[in-house]
Amino acid sequence: MKKALVIQEDIIILNILERLVTLNHYECRAIRSLNDLNIEDQQVNFDIIISDILFDGISPLDFVFQIQEIILHKSLIIVTNMGQLNVRLEVLASKNVDGFFAVPLNMNLIEKLIA
Amino acid sequence: MSFDILYYTYFIVKFSFLLYGLILIFIYSSGILLSDRAVKRNKKRAHFLQVNDIVSATDIPSVTLVAPAYNEGKTIVENVKSLLAIQYPFYDLLIVNDGSTDNTMQLLIDKYDLEPFDTTFSTQPIPTATVNRIFKSRKAQYKQLTVIDKNNGGKADAINAGINFAASELILCTDADCIIEQDALLKMVRPYLEESDQEIIACGGAIGIANDSVISNGTIKELRLPNDMIPMIQVVEYIRAFLIGRMGWGEINGLMLVSGAFGMYPRNRLIDVGGYDAKTVGEDFDLCIKLRVHMEQIKKPYKVVYVPETLCWTEAPPDYDIFIKQRDRWARGLIETLFIHKKLFLNPKYRNVGLFFIPYWFFFEFGAPIVEFLGLISLIVFGIFGLINWTTALLLLFSVYLFGCIFSTVAIFFYVKSFKHYSTSKQVTELLLAAYLEPFLYHPVLVYAQIKGYYKILFNIKSGWGVMKRRGFKTID
Amino acid sequence: MINIFLIVLIKIFAVVLIMLWVTIGVSIVYRRRRTKNLLLIEKTFAEVISKHLYPYPGEELSLVEIQRIFRNVGIIPSKPRNVQYLIDLMIRTQRSLLGENYEKLVVLFNQIPPYGASVSKLKSTKWYVKARGIREIYEMDQTRYVKEVIKERNNRNIYVRREAQIAMVIFLGWESLRFLSYLKREMTLWQQIKIVEKLHDLYPEPNLQYLRRAYESEKTYANELIMRIIRKFNLITEVDYILQFVDNRNFDTRESAIYCISSFYLSNSQLKLLKEKYFKVPNVSQQIQLLKYIDKISFDKDLEFYKKLLYTADDIIKLSTAEILWNNGYKEEVQEFYYQQYTNQSLKVEDSL
Repeated sequence: MKKALVIQEDIIILNILERLVTLNHYECRAIRSLNDLNIEDQQVNFDIIISDILFDGISPLDFVFQIQEIILHKSLIIVTNMGQLNVRLEVLASKNVDGFFAVPLNMNLIEKLIA
Repeated sequence: MSFDILYYTYFIVKFSFLLYGLILIFIYSSGILLSDRAVKRNKKRAHFLQVNDIVSATDIPSVTLVAPAYNEGKTIVENVKSLLAIQYPFYDLLIVNDGSTDNTMQLLIDKYDLEPFDTTFSTQPIPTATVNRIFKSRKAQYKQLTVIDKNNGGKADAINAGINFAASELILCTDADCIIEQDALLKMVRPYLEESDQEIIACGGAIGIANDSVISNGTIKELRLPNDMIPMIQVVEYIRAFLIGRMGWGEINGLMLVSGAFGMYPRNRLIDVGGYDAKTVGEDFDLCIKLRVHMEQIKKPYKVVYVPETLCWTEAPPDYDIFIKQRDRWARGLIETLFIHKKLFLNPKYRNVGLFFIPYWFFFEFGAPIVEFLGLISLIVFGIFGLINWTTALLLLFSVYLFGCIFSTVAIFFYVKSFKHYSTSKQVTELLLAAYLEPFLYHPVLVYAQIKGYYKILFNIKSGWGVMKRRGFKTID
Repeated sequence: MINIFLIVLIKIFAVVLIMLWVTIGVSIVYRRRRTKNLLLIEKTFAEVISKHLYPYPGEELSLVEIQRIFRNVGIIPSKPRNVQYLIDLMIRTQRSLLGENYEKLVVLFNQIPPYGASVSKLKSTKWYVKARGIREIYEMDQTRYVKEVIKERNNRNIYVRREAQIAMVIFLGWESLRFLSYLKREMTLWQQIKIVEKLHDLYPEPNLQYLRRAYESEKTYANELIMRIIRKFNLITEVDYILQFVDNRNFDTRESAIYCISSFYLSNSQLKLLKEKYFKVPNVSQQIQLLKYIDKISFDKDLEFYKKLLYTADDIIKLSTAEILWNNGYKEEVQEFYYQQYTNQSLKVEDSL
C-alpha cells in the first residue's frame, strides 16, 4: 500500500485530508507539526507528503528546500493558508513541489493530484 | 522660632510628598481601569481580524525587519535563521553588521552564501556611518535576507542604515538576539490594517523575559520563569509596565515610548523625522517623541498604539551588576531625551503631548527616583529632629506597600486571564511572591541605578551603552 | 485619627488582596478546564466533519447521530459559550473549503443547531454580538436576512459596518458596488482587502457595468477600493482609472494607485501620461517607486525624460535616474552629468581666488 504523510496544524483540515488520502488507498500518517515526527517516520520513503509551509523555527522556503533531507518522499504537495502569488511562485520555483493549494481549498483538485 | 521654621518646613514637605503620592496612585488606578477596558476590547476586536485571515490576505503592507548586530558571532547564524522563519507573506529581513570586530560577517557570508551587490547608486536619505557593502544570498531559500556591512556607528546608526535600504512600507526594529514570536508580524500589522482617520505612526508590542526558558530552533519551546530573583521580579515589572502602563496610556493616545527592542513604524514617517538619533542612549523614546512632534507640526491626526500580547522575548539582566548598568543607561536616555525636547514642556502648541504627556514623564518618570531619594533624606533628617510620628509613618508605609501589592497582583491577574503564559499555580505563586518582595530586594537598587544615571548626566561623566554580558538562552536541538 | 484611618485602609487593602488571590486561583482552574473542554469539542468536530465529508464505506453519519455527538460534548442550548464555539468552528471550516465540500457543509450547518441563533444577535446593542451575528449569517449563507444585514452598512461601529459590507459583497456580488461606493464613513484597508477578496473568490467574472458606475464616487476610500478591484481582476481596460490618481493630493490614494498600476504594462499613450503626472507627485519615495516602474515597463528608454530628471530633480532621484541610465547602456550620459557637476564646482573655486 502507498504511504502518505499529512502535516497540518489545523486539526480540521488535517482530519479531512487524512480521510481523503485514506479513501484514495494510502496508508496515512497524520501529524500536526514537524515536532511530532518520530524516528520511524524519518526512515519511511513516503509516496506523498501533503504539508503546510508554516512551521515554527523554519522559514517556508527553507522548509521546501530542506524537506527532502528531513523526510524521504517521492511527491510533495503544499496545502497552506499563506497562498499569495509571490509565495506560490517562490515555492513552485524550488522544483521540489508537485502541487500548491491555498485556502480556501478545493479538495477535488487535491484528490485528482493524489489519485 | 527656628523650631517653628523647621516644623513648617516639615509640614510643607510632608504634604508635598503626600500630594505627589496621591497623584501617582490616581494615575496608576486610572491605568488599571483604562487597561482593563483596552484589553477586553482588544480581545473582542481580535476575533474579527484573526491571524489566519491576515496570513492569507493580499494587499497587506510589506514589512522589513531591521536588526543590528555587533559582535554576535556566537549566536548570529541561529538568530538569523529564527528571524527568517517569521511567518508573513511580504517580509524581508535586513541584518546590519555594525562594524563587528569578531567573525559575525564571515559566519553570515559562509552560512547564507552571501554575495555583494552593486550599491553605487543606492540612496541614503538618513546619514549614517559608511556602508561598506551590501550582501544578498545566492540561494533562493534565503532571498528575503539582506546583510549590510558598515562601519561602527552604534545601534541607532545601524538601524538607520537599515531604514535607508529597506523597500517596504513598514519597518520593524528589533535586536538580533531577541526571540520573535512566529506570528508577531501578523499581529503587529493589525492596527495598520484597521487604521481609519488617525494614522498609526508607531506600534509597540509587549516584551517578555525568557531567562531560563527552553529554546529550540529560535522559538520558545517551554516558557519558564527565571530561576533567579532579579529577572523574576523583572517579569512582574514588565507585565505591569506593558499590560497596565502601556495599554492604559494607549487608550488615551498617550504612549510616548515604543521599545527599541520591538517597534513597528511606517518607513516614510521614519524618513520624515530622520530616523533614530545616534547621539542619545534613549533613542527609542526620542524617536517616538519626534514622530509625535512631526505629526503635530503637520497637523495630521495620529495614534501610537500598542499590541498587548507578548511577541518578543529577551534576556533580562540576571544580576544586580548588569541590572544597574542597564537602568543607569535607561535613566540617562530618559533625561537626555527630555532635555532634547524641552521646548515641548507645557507648550500648548503641542496639545496633549506638551500639556500632559511630557509633564507626566518629567514629574513622574524622571522625577520619581528623585522624589524617593529626597523622601528618604527628609525622613532621616526630620526623624533626627523628632518630628516623625513613627507609628503613623509605619502604617502609611505598610498601606502604600499593600497598594503596590494590589497593583502588581491586578497586573498579574490580567496577564494570566488574557494570555496563555504562566498558567500554572506554581508559576503564578512565584510571580506574586516576586512582586511582594520587589520593594525590598529590587526597588532600592533600581532607584540607586537611576540616581547614578542622573548623577552622570549632571556631572557630565561620559558613559555609553556599556557591555551587557549575556548568559544566552538555553537551547535544545 | 490618622492612624485609625490608616488601619482601616490597610484592612480594606488586605481584603482586596485576598479577593484577588481567590479570583486568580479560580481563574486558573476554570481556564484549565475550559481549555480541555474546548480541545475536546474541536477534536470531536474535526472527526464529525471529516466523516461527514469523506465517510468510509458503511460509516455514513446521520443528522441525528451528529446532533447526539455534539450534545455529548456539551453543545447544548444551556451552554451558550459552547454553542458559540461550535459556530466559530463551523465558520472556520466553511472558510477553508470550496466546491462540493462547501455546499455539503452549508446544508449540514443549516440543519444542526444553532440555527436561528445568528439573526437574534442582530438585535443586540453590543457591537461585538451584532457583528458576530452578521458574520455568522453570511458565512452560513443565510440569504433570507440580506435586508437586515444591509441596513447595518453605515453603522457607527466599525466592526459592525465592516461585517455588513462584507455580507453585501457575498450576497449581492458586483451589484454591491452600488452601495459600497457611497458609504457615509471611511473604509479601512482591511475592509477593502476583504471586500476585494470575497468578490474575487465568489464572483470571479467581473461586471464592468457596476464597476464603472462606481467611478462616479468621490470618496477616497471608494477610489482605492476600485483600484484594488481593477488590479485583483487584472482589468487592463480600466487602467486609465488608476492612472488619474497617480498624482492625487492624498498620500494614501497615490500609494494605492502606484501599487495597483505596478501590476500592469501600459500603452505608449498611457506611459506618456504617467510621465507627465510623475512631475506632479510631491513625495520623493513615491517618485522613486514610479521611476522604477517606468523603467521596468519601458522597452525603449526615453532619454529626454531621464535627462530632465538628471539635471533638475532632487538628489535622490538624480541618483536613481543615474542608476537606470547606467544599467541601460547610457553610461556616457551619466559620466557627462557628473563631470559637469565637478567642473561647475571647480569653476567656483577659481572665481573666489
